Amino acid sequence: MSDPTGDAKLELKQASKEVKESENVAEKFSAMTVSKNSEMNMGELSTVFSAVPTHKPVKKQIQFVEDKQEFSRFPTKTGRRSLSRSISQSSTDSYSSAASYTDSSDDETSPRDKTQINSKGSSDFCVKNIKQAEFGRREIEIAEQDMSALISLRKRAQSEKPLAGAKIVGCTHITAQTAVLIETLVALGAQCRWTACNIYSTQNEVAAALSETGVAVFAWKGESEDDFWWCIDRCVNTEGWQPNMILDDGGDLTHWMYKKYPNVFKKIRGIVEESVTGVHRLYQLSKAGKLCVPAMNVNDSVTKQKFDNLYCCRESILDGLKRTTDVMFGGKQVVVCGYGEVGKGCCAALKALGAIVYITEIDPICALQACMDGFRVVKLNEVIRQVDVIITCTGNKNVVTRDQLDRMKNGSIVCNMGHSNTEIDVASLRTPELTWERVRSQVDHVIWPDGKRVILLAEGRLLNLSCSTVPTFVLSITATTQALALIELYNAPEGRYKQDVYLLPKKMDEYVASLHLATFDAHLTELTDEQAKYLGLNKNGPFKPNYYRY
Amino acid sequence: MSVQVVAAKMAEVELKDVLTGKDLPAESPVTPTSEGKNLIRNDPHEAGSSAATSPTAEPSAKAGEGSLGLLTPNTAKMPQGSAMKRTDPQQNGGEAFVNRDGTVAEAPRMKKQIQFADQKQEFNKRPSKIGRRSLSRSISQSSTDSYSSAASYTDSSDDETSPRDKQQKNSKGNGDFCIKNIKQADFGRREIEIAEQEMPALMALRKRAQGEKPLAGAKVVGCTHITAQTAVLMETLSALGAQCRWAACNIYSTQNEVAAALAEGGFSVFAWKGESEDDFWWCIDRCVNVEGWQPNMILDDGGDLTHWIYKKYPNMFKKIKGIVEESVTGVHRLYQLSKAGKLCVPAMNVNDSVTKQKFDNLYCCRESILDGLKRTTDVMFGGKQVVVCGYGEVGKGCCAALKAMGSIVYVTEIDPICALQACMDGFRLVKLNEVIRQVDIVITCTGNKNVVVRENLDRMKNGCIVCNMGHSNTEIDVASLRTPELTWERVRSQVDHVIWPDGKRIVLLAEGRLLNLSCSTVPTFVLSITATTQALALIELYNAPEGRYKQDVYLLPKKMDEYVASLHLPTFDAHLTELTDEQAKYLGLNKNGPFKPNYYRY
Repeated sequence: MSDPTGDAKLELKQASKEVKESENVAEKFSAMTVSKNSEMNMGELSTVFSAVPTHKPVKKQIQFVEDKQEFSRFPTKTGRRSLSRSISQSSTDSYSSAASYTDSSDDETSPRDKTQINSKGSSDFCVKNIKQAEFGRREIEIAEQDMSALISLRKRAQSEKPLAGAKIVGCTHITAQTAVLIETLVALGAQCRWTACNIYSTQNEVAAALSETGVAVFAWKGESEDDFWWCIDRCVNTEGWQPNMILDDGGDLTHWMYKKYPNVFKKIRGIVEESVTGVHRLYQLSKAGKLCVPAMNVNDSVTKQKFDNLYCCRESILDGLKRTTDVMFGGKQVVVCGYGEVGKGCCAALKALGAIVYITEIDPICALQACMDGFRVVKLNEVIRQVDVIITCTGNKNVVTRDQLDRMKNGSIVCNMGHSNTEIDVASLRTPELTWERVRSQVDHVIWPDGKRVILLAEGRLLNLSCSTVPTFVLSITATTQALALIELYNAPEGRYKQDVYLLPKKMDEYVASLHLATFDAHLTELTDEQAKYLGLNKNGPFKPNYYRY
Repeated sequence: MSVQVVAAKMAEVELKDVLTGKDLPAESPVTPTSEGKNLIRNDPHEAGSSAATSPTAEPSAKAGEGSLGLLTPNTAKMPQGSAMKRTDPQQNGGEAFVNRDGTVAEAPRMKKQIQFADQKQEFNKRPSKIGRRSLSRSISQSSTDSYSSAASYTDSSDDETSPRDKQQKNSKGNGDFCIKNIKQADFGRREIEIAEQEMPALMALRKRAQGEKPLAGAKVVGCTHITAQTAVLMETLSALGAQCRWAACNIYSTQNEVAAALAEGGFSVFAWKGESEDDFWWCIDRCVNVEGWQPNMILDDGGDLTHWIYKKYPNMFKKIKGIVEESVTGVHRLYQLSKAGKLCVPAMNVNDSVTKQKFDNLYCCRESILDGLKRTTDVMFGGKQVVVCGYGEVGKGCCAALKAMGSIVYVTEIDPICALQACMDGFRLVKLNEVIRQVDIVITCTGNKNVVVRENLDRMKNGCIVCNMGHSNTEIDVASLRTPELTWERVRSQVDHVIWPDGKRIVLLAEGRLLNLSCSTVPTFVLSITATTQALALIELYNAPEGRYKQDVYLLPKKMDEYVASLHLPTFDAHLTELTDEQAKYLGLNKNGPFKPNYYRY
């Protein structure tokens, strides 16, 4: 539990430094949100463009883009995402069409100092501008179309109201997708108070739309560190309302309640935590014997894991490389470092495009899998001189070192799909004899004295977060998992969950998957009674033992 | 243990069948083509089998030389063959052999051969999926496969004396074994040597561990199939310092010549092909019950040996240091014992090791689905519409292979998670009824029963191929096809045309039994994975410090699992990367593994 304040300050500084480097404001700006909107909101877009002359708002845009993607793509793989990982530069992507319709910079007053009232006369919220609610509503409606699983969950469970009486306090990114989640929870009977888990990621118009419907939201884009904790506190500390469920992403809210309101914390019926960091903090708490409520780790559910890693990376590796370098894959020699879920995804995609793929691996079991899947397992040094593309996905550090970078051939591309920015030893490239040339945003040519160029993407940070987008489908998986975890914890009979951290029950995991099958027009077969009896299974699952590997 | 009882009963029935069969004069309607083929190929196995009919070892040695020297194409094929040892009557060449056995599946005498082929393959392919393999699953008919090259060089029928009544001594004067014919040792040795070449992992293990002799003092009593591959395992154990006594876990699967070679090499082996039920238990007892020698380790496959010692020699059982069990059945029996609180020694379940599971299911089925279908039907896969029922490991393997061949693949699934995986892998998820009218091939791999029922079969289109890759023979409701209005026509061994009154034909493979066991072969590589896992499990149990393993059933430690994998990497010329100290520290791992947490899914 490192001091978050220090972290955040440092980042803010770095972030503003980066702004000065940034060249192409318009390009930076465009990265996010949903494309369908861009046309109908052209007017809004142009105001945004005109509003960007200063560096400060640009920086905000950049951050927003990055954070948003992080949330979308890989909510789990980053250390304290919300505050610690913002040293990145803007996304370069000039193809994705959407933008945030609102710009926080048009109003310099802090939301904390404004009193706003929604149309029903309630003022129990704190957002940038309640007037943007209509916009936000449209955003949410678009997201709803892509999150059919949550919508069908609403329909299926609406009559039973499985969350009736639940008072949920939540701390997640506030985007159109989470808004769909929040409104689903409300539709299932819960009362919600919400705050942002990231100071940059909030979509102001969505926050406004939520406030307008009566959800107490405390969040705006570009909060200060102080604002951040103030929002969390406003969320929790309200008269006549005591939360009984926590939905957290990163563990900040849990931490705050645990520290500041131990009495409220004790009465919580359950915590649902989404991120690796938050889960880690919960396990620590549990180990120390201080966790006095049951918690659910939804990060490690089978469905979520497969989508976060295997399926997502399979798509984003091609997307990220194409957007940044326009490389053609057929016949290219590619070395992928690591053959875990991410590596498996990358290799499958590259192989399908006709690339010649080599693997490096430390784990003999994964290495054998690579062999059986038809990939040559090599040591990096054996192929470093001949490959055109190097992709790291090990989760390790210094997998590609200066020594190896020195030996690469002219024009080879180096990028990282793994964990944080440690895999490629980028620092070793910051020496006087090498010239760095930024050819596009997120694309650097590093030039050796002899003229050799190595193309470094995203300065060794995660390619999939920096240079690619994330399908709403993946967010839908996450949100559905969270909703089901809340329902499970809230409705579990006394004693099923003790004061410990639990994995999502297999049955719920299967239910998440089944809710998403409709998207594929997939028709699940049902067991007959006779077959169920033969297999010794319940007709409705769970279908596999816990140790099943999928 | 009701399974066992049933199994035993079934075995009795079968044995009766076989015995009565023996008395019948077996006709041999061998097709001239197959004979001709064998003659032209001058198959070494033909030479082998004819040699076996002569009582002396010398000519057999000659024949062996001939085969090695003259027939390069066949020697090239030999390794593959030795993995299989499928007694295929059409294949086995020698007229005498064929005459004795007959080729037509319906001939009762065939049963034995058939049984053997099937059983053996079971061992190779999927030792784990069948209930008491050794005795319970023998209702099958012969394998059809005329391409696989190997055969057993010896035929049990050439000598009617039971090995139990013969006194034999090996060249060192030792008589502590009981096998068919010690004179076949030379042959067996060659078999073993061939197998050694394909089991580099065990050979590497020998080399790496020979200096330390990690099994010095271990007295291993084993009960497995006795084939060239297990012989390599046994000799490895011996090279590592263990003393071994061995019996067969299957009454049909023993390679007599290999048993002879082992006996000649000083192993106390009690096994021959075609044991009776009584012989089976007698062999096990001879293995265990010997003066001045008490086993301290058990290597079992099926749980029969463990059961015998547990029941008959409880005092000996208590002193065992560890049990290594390979099959699902055996593991199930161990868990039952453990649940009842009666397991007083630590046991290792090697069946569920990651490496073994992946190879038994995913990788093996990925290859054998194409092989099995091609051999039986010569179907072309490109553009064919195939429905695969079930998307577990087996289903994933089948789908991957079929997709690669250009088939249009549909999947049916009951588990939404696997269903979502199928969707994301690009397969249409359907209910069987939605596509049954249009598909060309139906493959079941669910482990369930009655997945394809008569109603589905009625609606299939003409020429549709139906086969089962899953578990036992319950998935396709074959019984429902045995009605008067349908005509069955056997077009090849393992291939039946079922003809509807309107002339529609369905091609049913292996009568709904496992296609991969009945109509395809298993690479030695897979056997090597299994054998290496067993050897490492023995070493681990034997050398574990007091208290690491309690009286329970354990999974193979992840580190050992990784070691098995690493021993097989040289086959692929794969070069594993090593962590630097700095990297290991960063990840919080030991440089030598284990590299993944236990819940990792691979």
